[in-house]
Amino acid sequence: MKILLIEDQLELSNNIREFLESEGIVCEFCDNCFDAQDKLLVYHYDCIILDIMLPDGNGLDLIDFIKENQEGSNILIISAKNSLQDKLDGLDLGADDYMTKPFHLAELHARLKVLYRRNQLGGTDKLVFNEIQVNPENLEVTVNQNLLELTKKEFDLLVFFLTNKNRVLGRQAIVQHLWGDYTDDLANFDFVYQHIKNLRKKICQAGGIDYIETVYGIGYKFNTTKE
Amino acid sequence: MKLINQFTIWYLGISVIVFLIGGILIFYKLESEIDFEQGRELERQLDRYARKMESMDDPSILSKDRLEIRELPLNQALVPFQLGDTLAWHEPLEQVERQVKAGRSYLINGKHYYMSTYNIMIESDDITETVVQTMVAIFLLLLIFIAVTSRLVSKKILQPFHSSLTKIKEFTFKENQPLVFEPSRIEEFEKLHEFLNRMSARMLGDYKIVKEFSENLSHEIQTPIAVISGKLELLLNSPITDQQAKWIAASHQSTQKMSKVVHSLATLAKLENQEFEGNQQVNLSALLNKSIADYEELVAIKQISLHQLIEPDIKIEMHPNMAEMLVDNLLSNAIKHNEKPGYITIEATPSVLKFRNKGEKPKRDVSEYLDRFKKGNPNSESIGLGLSIVQQICRIHGFTLEYQFIEEEHQVTIQLQN
Repeated sequence: MKILLIEDQLELSNNIREFLESEGIVCEFCDNCFDAQDKLLVYHYDCIILDIMLPDGNGLDLIDFIKENQEGSNILIISAKNSLQDKLDGLDLGADDYMTKPFHLAELHARLKVLYRRNQLGGTDKLVFNEIQVNPENLEVTVNQNLLELTKKEFDLLVFFLTNKNRVLGRQAIVQHLWGDYTDDLANFDFVYQHIKNLRKKICQAGGIDYIETVYGIGYKFNTTKE
Repeated sequence: MKLINQFTIWYLGISVIVFLIGGILIFYKLESEIDFEQGRELERQLDRYARKMESMDDPSILSKDRLEIRELPLNQALVPFQLGDTLAWHEPLEQVERQVKAGRSYLINGKHYYMSTYNIMIESDDITETVVQTMVAIFLLLLIFIAVTSRLVSKKILQPFHSSLTKIKEFTFKENQPLVFEPSRIEEFEKLHEFLNRMSARMLGDYKIVKEFSENLSHEIQTPIAVISGKLELLLNSPITDQQAKWIAASHQSTQKMSKVVHSLATLAKLENQEFEGNQQVNLSALLNKSIADYEELVAIKQISLHQLIEPDIKIEMHPNMAEMLVDNLLSNAIKHNEKPGYITIEATPSVLKFRNKGEKPKRDVSEYLDRFKKGNPNSESIGLGLSIVQQICRIHGFTLEYQFIEEEHQVTIQLQN
């Protein structure tokens, strides 16, 4: 997977690149519209991460250019403006997703993967890790060929873990991933705990390994080294 | 009280004083004038008698009831004309009345006579009566005239004032136009217009600065927060000790909170600046049901039983985003400040929206929670702006918001009819 990051804040783009590259994603970067157009004319990217406010223009104006020159690539907007209007405008113009700064890198990664799977791979590929198989198309999960009965939230949670293996996922990141922005000040992470407990139980009952471990006081981690 | 009434009352008050003083002046002037004229008339009468007596031998025959003729010694000095009053029988009135008496002496045919006569005096009572009647009549006329005309005149004179008032009322920051008034011939209005024009221009300038500041703040601060939180996330996944991980997680959480505070404050500023315009028919019932569905899971996990007494298809006139914010804040608030197990009752009719939920007894007066950053538990993750946002939304739409704690219950009541 190859992406182009158009973001004028050097440190922010460093964060994103570092995170994504450690996940094996090829990440090219530029900090203005002009350079971005250059790159977009020459290379093909699976996904473009686009900041709205750029030194030489508005990122929204680039969307048409991207659509013309990049076949089948996805656009994910990242903006400091938490404005509904901008979000609607961006999605109207043809962007695939919109994230408001600040965001969790794990969340960005998860959303990129979702877009990639949906558009590039036609949503047909399965997420496989050892005995766990996830089919995003029909929301089916099997562990050792045993079908798991998961709720929507548990399914999302498992996909989130599988996309961000071996990373500490803070409770806040999980809450935001599952419930969106609006619930995250509900000052109670009980429900994260509940969902994770259920998910772990179901995986174990189906004979799977309990990969998900608690990082005390912080969150959870999908530990692939567990046996 | 209307300005015109105030003017009228003052004007009438002053008129009363002027009429009083005028009346007294007229009274004295009239009295002295009458006395003077009466004296003159009596003197002329005496003169006439004196001339008659010149051609008479015996002047005493002229003596009659009103005329008194007395002979004085020749060597006595002439008595000059003098006026006095006396009491005498008045024939037509058939009673003793105060009369004016005039007398002087004449030298006639070598004899010295003193003659005096009197006439009925015009009494001051009569003069007073006349003066008072006249004054009252004039005053009443004035009253009627003023009452009728002042209304008409004031309408005309105050017309520019009223049109200015309408303009001021219609002034909004959104239009970004300073107040401009039609020129007026009245100096005071001109001054007021000039002042208001300058003031509105100044307000718009200040507003722009504040708006830019809050907008810049909310945008510009989110990027550094994103940088920090990203670094912390990377750090969290680097080889570190458990203790370090906890510190990092705590820092990360605080940056999230910072971002949220800035965002909520920006929303609140937007609301206060009335930047949301374009009310629509909003289906409150549908909105409530959607919100309830969103929070369903959370409600279940917190073991809250939710009672819905929502009338179907309640339509209210609101900005759709604000309506969503209102419902969402109210519901999340009711969940947040609940007990485990607890309950929430949502009542909605076309006129009232009411959220009741079980909760701890607040430590202070509940109405304080409507203020910014006032929260029951200072350590809670909530930032304490939810109810301020709710209140602001209510204020914009003219709803009344009431927050009470009654019988172990938090009650937020919103009167939707304004």
